[in-house]
This record gives sequence, C-alpha cells and structure tokens, in this order.
Amino acid sequence: MFISLWEFFYGHFFRFWMKWLLRQMTGKCELQRIFDTYVGAQRTHRIENSLTYSKNKVLQKATRVVQSEVDKCVDDIMKEKNINPEKDASFKICMKMCLLQITGYKQLYLDVESVRKRPYDSDNLQHEELLMKLWNLLMPTKKLNARISKQWAEIGFQGDDPKTDFRGMGILGLINLVYFSENYTSEAHQILSRSNHPKLGYSYAIVGINLTEMAYSLLKSEALKFHLYNFVPGIPTMEHFHQFY
Amino acid sequence: MSDLRITEAFLYMDYLCFRALCCKGPPPARPEYDLVCIGLTGSGKTSLLSKLCSESPENVVSTTGFSIKAVPFQNAILNVKELGGADNIRKYWSRYYQGSQGVIFVLDSASSEDDLETARNELHSALQHPQLCTLPFLILANHQDKPAARSVQEIKKYFELEPLARGKRWILQPCSLDDMDALKDSFSQLINLLEEKDHEALRM
Repeated sequence: MFISLWEFFYGHFFRFWMKWLLRQMTGKCELQRIFDTYVGAQRTHRIENSLTYSKNKVLQKATRVVQSEVDKCVDDIMKEKNINPEKDASFKICMKMCLLQITGYKQLYLDVESVRKRPYDSDNLQHEELLMKLWNLLMPTKKLNARISKQWAEIGFQGDDPKTDFRGMGILGLINLVYFSENYTSEAHQILSRSNHPKLGYSYAIVGINLTEMAYSLLKSEALKFHLYNFVPGIPTMEHFHQFY
Repeated sequence: MSDLRITEAFLYMDYLCFRALCCKGPPPARPEYDLVCIGLTGSGKTSLLSKLCSESPENVVSTTGFSIKAVPFQNAILNVKELGGADNIRKYWSRYYQGSQGVIFVLDSASSEDDLETARNELHSALQHPQLCTLPFLILANHQDKPAARSVQEIKKYFELEPLARGKRWILQPCSLDDMDALKDSFSQLINLLEEKDHEALRM
C-alpha cells in the first residue's frame, strides 16, 4: 500500500518538479541527460522508464511503436522536446537504437510466446523431423528402432513417446534442444554422457526442457533485459534467445 | 506469477499494520503439516499443486528430482514435497518419506492398462512402506475430464483399496484441473485427518 502511495506521489508531483529544476540547470531535457550520463543497458533501461512514466502521450506511445515507424517516432520526440538536430547530432542515432532495443525486446517476448504455445504434434511432419534430427545429432552411431521405444530414455526422455514430456514449453523446448545439439555438438555429447552416469546422473532432455522454462520465465519477468540490451546493439531475435539458452 | 505474490505480500502487510494500529496482537499462526506427493509421470501432480497455489498450470514442465511448495488453506498450511514420477526417479522415492505426516497419491484415471498397473504397484508399496503405513492417504483420481477416465468405483475395485487399506485412513477423490472446489474439499478432509492425528499424539 505504501509503495503504491509513493508511486502515485512520485509520478504526479515530485518527478515533475525535479525534471523542471534539472532542465533549468542544464538546459537539456531528461532524455538528453540520460544519453550523456549512461551507456549500455543502464541507458536503455532508464530511457524506457522515462518514456513509460512520462505524461506526454507521444513519449508514452514510443515504447510500443512498430519497427518500421521508429524513425518517424524519433522525429516526433525531437519536436516535442524542442531538441535541435544541429546542436545535438548524436541524439537521433542513440534514441533510434534505444527504441529498437526496447520494442525489439517486447516483440521477442511475443515471438517466443507464440512458439511456446504450439504443442508438439505427432501428425505434424516438421515436428517429427525435428525429433528425429535430435536423435541423430545426439546418437549418431545408434539407430532408432521405432518411433515409440524405450531407447528415448537414453537421451533423457521419461517415457516411450517424447511427446508427453514437452508439456508447457511446447515445440520451443524441442527447438532449443536441437539448436544446442546442432551448434555445440561436442559439448552436447559430453553433457549427455555425464548425464547418463549411474549415480550422479540426471535426465538430459528433461533438464533441457526445464532450462527452456527458466529462460522463458526470465524473458517474461523482464530480467533478461539487461543482458540483451548489453549484448545486442539492435533488435534481439530468436537466435539471441537460443544463444542465451 | 511473481506480481501476484507481491500484491498478496502487500495486502498481508496492510493487514498487519491495521491490526497493530487497532492494538490487536499478531494473528494466530496456522498449523503446518509436511506432506509428500507421489504418482506416475504425467498424472498431474505439478499442475494440481500449481493451481492450488493460484499459479497458472500453463508453463508446467516435467519435474526432475523434486520440488517443495507451501500450499495455503484457510485453517492450515501444507508443505508438500512433490516427487518426480519418471522411472529413474521412482526408485529414490523412499528416501524422501522421512518426516512426512501425510501422503498425496495422484493417478491418471485415463491412462493405459499397463500404466494403471504400475500405479497400483506403487500405491501398494507406499501403503505398506514402514514410514508411510500409519499416515493418512489422499488418493486423487485425476484427469476425470477425459472421456476414457475410469470411474471412482472402478478405481476403488482395481486398486483393491477396501481390503488392502483396511484400518488405515484414506480418501479417494475424483478430480480434474477444471474442478477446484471438489479438490479443495478433499484437502479440507485431509487436513481434518491430520488434525485428528495431531490430537491423538498429544493425548498419548
């Protein structure tokens, strides 16, 4: 209750007077001051907060703008805040990059969510091919006897049919597993052999799916923002999510 | 999920402030009981417990190892140790039984004959295990919303609950993820059984 009271107070009164004071003192609006003081993820994060808390409608809408309209949006912001493009040339570039990162993160979350919602479908050829690809990547020397067999336990699935293990993560879990096996094959083999240790072992595929869930929760709760803002200078894509995994 | 927890935490803090201002002491603590939740993989243990904790069961993945959840009810808090049901984890179940005061067994009413037989064997071993044989059992026949689900009568007969569990305290409840009220009802009955056992222990 006290936190929400503080937020109301801060948003409506305190912030306005602080910003007015700082603008009089430095001659620059809040956005310009942030660009001067901070770099990297801190900067993008503060810009995002500033835009979200702003009472100006143009600025508030900026966090939700579509990729193709980012340039126009930056021009609108400069007009609103009376920023002279000749005096402050880097503002346009920096603002564009920040907006791309902010909107890109939101878009990435939506993309990941849409993949996650698709459950594994045995009738879908693409899904089946992905599953066979996973087997062939992890067990290149062994042949799979049948689509439904106890051999799946060797790569860490719980039952005869891997379909029952994907659950909440849907096809996203499988795509992550295949990505890891494809791009980091030798590491995947090492981890797989360790996971099959009789005493200290665990189920490779199930733990993989649990890791997908962890990565997804971090993305959803916005904890991944700092990492992606630092790591990716532009728009984060699915590739970056897989790399994080 | 975390937003809901934060809101709940703030509401509770407001409640405490209110009580402090009105010069009342802290509210009486609810009794806590330690339970263990077992069942085959895919029976729905994680989803049921998530739903009881007001979390969405949408993001649930197979449990590797185990997970502990504190499930709040009006008159008690249940600390449930939920164990994964895969073949390779089942052999370690007995290592987690120490200290339990009750057992929740979840089964998939719509599973195949083979799986049902495996579930029966596991339930029988649990009923006869020295650390669990005196504890109250809550047996949940889950997935009742599926067309192939067996009825409570069939399950009672197949699992031989009347002869085998004679002299023990058990509750058999049909349930599914859409019917939370029936589920909460069965948990209230379990809490009553747990309280009775507590009072018996105190008298002795």
